[in-house]
Amino acid sequence: MKNLFDFFIRHSAWVVATIYVVLSLLMLIKDNPYQQSIYLTSANAVSSTVYGGISLVTDYFHLKGINDELQQRNALLEMQLVDLRAQLADAKMQLPDTTLNSNLQHFDFVVAHVISNSIAQTNNYITINRGAADGIKAEMGVVDHTGVVGIVNVVGKHSARIISLLNPYMKLSCKLKNSEYFGSMVWDTGDPRYATLEELPKHLHYAVGDTVVTSGYSTVFPEGIIVGTIEGRARNLSDSFVSLKVKLSTNFSQLSTVRVITNDMSEELHLLQESDAQGQGGSANRKEEGAK
Amino acid sequence: MQIIILFFVLVLAQIVCYKIMLFGLAVPIVFIYLILRLPINWHLNVALTIAFLMGLAVDITCNTPGLNALCCTLLAVFRYPIFSLYVSREDDMNVPTPSVESLGLGSYFRYMSTMVVIYATMLFFLQSIGMHNLPVTLARIGASSVLSIALILGLDSLVSTRREKRL
Repeated sequence: MKNLFDFFIRHSAWVVATIYVVLSLLMLIKDNPYQQSIYLTSANAVSSTVYGGISLVTDYFHLKGINDELQQRNALLEMQLVDLRAQLADAKMQLPDTTLNSNLQHFDFVVAHVISNSIAQTNNYITINRGAADGIKAEMGVVDHTGVVGIVNVVGKHSARIISLLNPYMKLSCKLKNSEYFGSMVWDTGDPRYATLEELPKHLHYAVGDTVVTSGYSTVFPEGIIVGTIEGRARNLSDSFVSLKVKLSTNFSQLSTVRVITNDMSEELHLLQESDAQGQGGSANRKEEGAK
Repeated sequence: MQIIILFFVLVLAQIVCYKIMLFGLAVPIVFIYLILRLPINWHLNVALTIAFLMGLAVDITCNTPGLNALCCTLLAVFRYPIFSLYVSREDDMNVPTPSVESLGLGSYFRYMSTMVVIYATMLFFLQSIGMHNLPVTLARIGASSVLSIALILGLDSLVSTRREKRL
């Protein structure tokens, strides 16, 4: 026994090194963003305070670019507003009793400020300065004025971490704006300006520059939010599907203010799914009773 | 005491550094300067613990769980063998802390650049497991190493001059 202790003391450095390596490996292997504890992410209180301080300074450097983008966006929206008013007036003339209904009316926004953001990693995350106290919950969609940004993942009291679109864990259901063909958008690491739209049918017709928007097949993002434009064909992994290279409309290196979609439809849908499941369970019970 | 201050300053510096990416490739890695600077006569267990904690602190703030902690621990393991590769008689050093001052520019540069290249290689290869872009990974290792070596040389002269003034 004494020899054994002597052995461990003599080689304690190897024991310590092995323990640290195993601990790190465990953390590395369990790197699943959906299961991480809040203390091990940038959404914890200390990190978010530090990031908040740093972003107070660094945000000033992006102001000019953001200002230009906002002005362009503003001009575009004004044009659309004029156009839509004209269309609305036309529609009212033709059908005076119809009220316009839109999917977008089910969605509200919380405006948040980005306090940390990475684009150079393999798995990129964004931290914002709004949390559970502001009504943010996990799995809410996040957009900015140019397009889709990501999905909320870990929520602290006054901060939250978002899985960026630039993260291979994030798969976004998208479609081409002018057709009903849909596929899933993934980022295959590397250039933060481009992503790949996969699993599109082979007979798809497309043109370079076509707009890619969210499909609305989940409750996270409403249908029709801009994701990017088609740049060309991407390297294909399967013969039965087509993959397209998409230029992302969101400029991830200059994220500053984002909007979190606080979706009030998701609870209703969950309730509906639950009652559906109960209904099925009930009918199964009845069948069993009948058999007896 | 100096080590503790350096620990926090370097973690803060690294958070800022991860936001910077030159030419879409080069990420400056400055926090390993602490591991390079640990006195060479300290027990390996102490060096391992400081390196692991340093990596963990960077991991938590930069959302890379385990990655930097693993690389830092391994770097602390490699430190002494690499150091003795370039500096044969450590008794000749008047202070046990490796720096340009104590080793001379030539030896320190060889020791430091070897460690930086090893770290960048481990970091970017571990990060790109399962991805099929070897050229990008190699370019990242090269560009980040050059940038980090330049920054650490500057950092070393900054830390050393401050101490001279205090004396």
